[in-house]
Amino acid sequence: MSERWGRRTFAVPAGAFYLLFAFLVFGISGCSKGGSDRSAMGQAAMDSTLVIAMLGDADYLNPVLGSTVTSGNIMGLIYPSLLQSEFDTETGLLNYMALEKKLRDVALGKVKKTPEAAVARTWQMSADHKSITYILRDDAYWNDGKRIVSGDFKFSYTLYGNPVIASARQQYLAELVGADKGRIDFDRAIETPNDTTLIFRFYKPVAEHLALYHTSLTPLPMHRWKDVKPEEFRHSPLNLDPLGAGPYRLKRWQQQQELILVSSRSSNLPKPGTIPAIAFRVVPDYTVRLTQLQTGAVDVVENVKPEDFTALMKANRNIDIKTVGLRAYDYVGWSNIDQQEYRKSGKVKPHPLFGSPRVRLALTQAIDRESIIDGYLKEYGILCNTDISPSLKWAYNNKITPHVFDPAKAAALLRAEGWVPGPDGILQKEGRRFSFVLYTNAGNARRNYATIIIQQNLRAIGIECKLDVQESNVFFENLQERKLDAWMAGWSIGLEIDPLDVWGSDLKKSRFNFTGYRNPRIDQLSELAKAKMDPTGAKAYWQEYQEILHRDQPITFLYWIKETQGFSKRIKGEELNISGTFYNLDDWKLSSSATVTP
Amino acid sequence: MLIYILKRILIAVPLIFGVLTLTFFITRLAPGDPAALFIQPGISPNVAEQIRAQFGLNDPLPVQYVKWLGNVLQGDFGRSFSRAQQPVFDVIAEALPITVTIAALTLVANFTFGILIGIVSAVRQNSFLDRFLTVTGLFFYSMPEFWFALMMIILFALKFPLFPASGLNEIGAESFGFVGFVMDRIWHLVIPVTVLSVNGAAGIARYVRGSMLEVIRQDYIRTARAKGLPENVVIFKHALRNALLPVVTLMGSSLPFIFSGALFIEVIFAFPGMGRVTVDAIFARDYPLIIANTFISGSLIVLGNLVADVLYAVVDPRIKL
Repeated sequence: MSERWGRRTFAVPAGAFYLLFAFLVFGISGCSKGGSDRSAMGQAAMDSTLVIAMLGDADYLNPVLGSTVTSGNIMGLIYPSLLQSEFDTETGLLNYMALEKKLRDVALGKVKKTPEAAVARTWQMSADHKSITYILRDDAYWNDGKRIVSGDFKFSYTLYGNPVIASARQQYLAELVGADKGRIDFDRAIETPNDTTLIFRFYKPVAEHLALYHTSLTPLPMHRWKDVKPEEFRHSPLNLDPLGAGPYRLKRWQQQQELILVSSRSSNLPKPGTIPAIAFRVVPDYTVRLTQLQTGAVDVVENVKPEDFTALMKANRNIDIKTVGLRAYDYVGWSNIDQQEYRKSGKVKPHPLFGSPRVRLALTQAIDRESIIDGYLKEYGILCNTDISPSLKWAYNNKITPHVFDPAKAAALLRAEGWVPGPDGILQKEGRRFSFVLYTNAGNARRNYATIIIQQNLRAIGIECKLDVQESNVFFENLQERKLDAWMAGWSIGLEIDPLDVWGSDLKKSRFNFTGYRNPRIDQLSELAKAKMDPTGAKAYWQEYQEILHRDQPITFLYWIKETQGFSKRIKGEELNISGTFYNLDDWKLSSSATVTP
Repeated sequence: MLIYILKRILIAVPLIFGVLTLTFFITRLAPGDPAALFIQPGISPNVAEQIRAQFGLNDPLPVQYVKWLGNVLQGDFGRSFSRAQQPVFDVIAEALPITVTIAALTLVANFTFGILIGIVSAVRQNSFLDRFLTVTGLFFYSMPEFWFALMMIILFALKFPLFPASGLNEIGAESFGFVGFVMDRIWHLVIPVTVLSVNGAAGIARYVRGSMLEVIRQDYIRTARAKGLPENVVIFKHALRNALLPVVTLMGSSLPFIFSGALFIEVIFAFPGMGRVTVDAIFARDYPLIIANTFISGSLIVLGNLVADVLYAVVDPRIKL
């Protein structure tokens, strides 16, 4: 009886299943039919569109406000610039170009950028280095046809310097007249005698390269922004509709989803972008970004992990891995001072574990940095000695011999410092065990890998290192509040060397001197180097600076990271260097997907 | 019933308000700084201070709360810290339709598949099919959604490239025409909706199975069969309608779960919906946006429970509200 019920009852849902199946088949075949039409149309769109996958969206497309790297990349394509800058890979120096003048002469054939993108025709630095005068070209236009004039630059600098707007770039104005008294006198600091003359005045002598760097902030069109009140500046609707003059203009911005730029046909700064359209797509998940690169749905994915290279290139032979210069390094931070005491009383006392340079040197020698590189970064990592990158060839000290992995030497150094093995095998000194927690931020596979090796290495010489991973915001706040004794983190360096924020002895002023390292000679060398009007004249100072850091080991410098970017081979003409992956994006070309050869 | 609904809504007001107050203090007392982005070498230390002043974060906490309260009572939840200072409800207005679409599709798929599988399992109790469906259901039910999503992407976007791995539309989709555009959108939604609904459907199937098994042993089912009614009528008209009573209540209460599930799915599939907005807001310590999102999800939970209770009364005439 029950079997009969069973058979009959099954017949109905089975019918329903067939219906559902039919629906699905119809649906999917409909999809795939639509899909083939779509893929033909999509292919055409893809052949003229470069697709870049981004981890996050641009914050603003307004140069006064935009503060993320993504915003910077996109704004560089939309807005005009006073000067064109180029990183000289031969020397590691930044070069600045106006239409008719260059800061440094670079050998022919080495120049990758054309100066035509610059609005300045030429410039003249005053003999006392207290003012710089630009002569602007008269044939540069905003996208709405209005001329770009000197007033646009002056107006933009008043915005950059307005505390209500709170631009992240107000530091660039720190040498302008009045800045030393706490209030920039814009009438005197920036003068515009006519539409093509722009004069910046400083309260002190400024080296020419720094003057060029600090006075070439991206302008906004005054005629468009002049009626916007400073308190409304950050949420003005104009932020969503940027008016530029560069090789691309904004076509559509669906926030947190997709941003599309199209070549600006009227641009002469330097020319309309070669690729007709560039789509920046927000894809937050790493695995998905990688999958899209593999399937050809996107053309560029930044920061591909070395462990994924083989599978990626095997799966799709049209993918290439490209690297930029050495700009980022990881390190293990050791508190040089007793942070608890400093927080409590403001007094500086050596840290009970890491206060001695000899102990810190022993820790560096005990860590097998090469094996971290071999195991994770492979050829995309280079041993790091100090925070001056080997890419900054003019300043890099190549006479420094890296501290090699030598646990026996490390143990001997610690013994000489009074650290002897206790009953549990952990080193002890005056009843204190050599035990600490090494903190790092969550979500960084490379650092997780390194911390495990470090823990094993230190255990081998009798040091107990416990690991703790913290959410990035919490980790950063703890670092700032000097709550951590040891941590693993990284820095990305600027192209102008300015280390006082990180190593300055005045711990109140040097906000990023998390270790509390203090050496007056470092302060002195930095000031001497900055005072040089020609950066190369400061070479000797920077060489000594590196020797001191190498000797004192305020932190254990681990490795420089070659950032690795996944590129579709259909992209041609790309030049990657330390300035960034998208350094000459307006010159890239796309070969049709059908003609790509692996 | 109308009075009952009104009463419930009135009770919900202080409840949601309490939740928002708690969220206000928890987010502000948690470590992290909305101006953290501006604390880095090369940026003047003034900037973070100026930003904090703009956000009103330099006031003492009670002052901040009173100000916030005044604004919220006027319906102003403020402007987002992290999204170009857009009003928070503008941010939500852009994100909500995407999440609602995914949630609605998931809800339909959840219940359609859940009920069908549940009926089959119950009617063929202890058969191979029942065991197979039970084991498969539990397998999917226990699987973390984010992992399942990644596996589906690897399988159906990479190994067998049938569906796209992420995004809502193809590049250049606007040129496909309306039908093409909609089909493209559906094509992009297949994997995410499948991932979200498989897990839910497996759970619902268990409920339906249990409930059906109880009902088909009742006397009135035996009576219906004794009357010689066709089995379809017995199962679908007599058994299923009664068996669905507890399942219907699930519909309301599953709404918040689908929204929270969409949180992972949106991050993985790069949909700019509520889930992404919430996750990004939390990481950026975007207090106004976090509170507004809590308001939306809190309201949904209250609404979901209310819908569940009302539905219960609607489908079961014995229950009077």
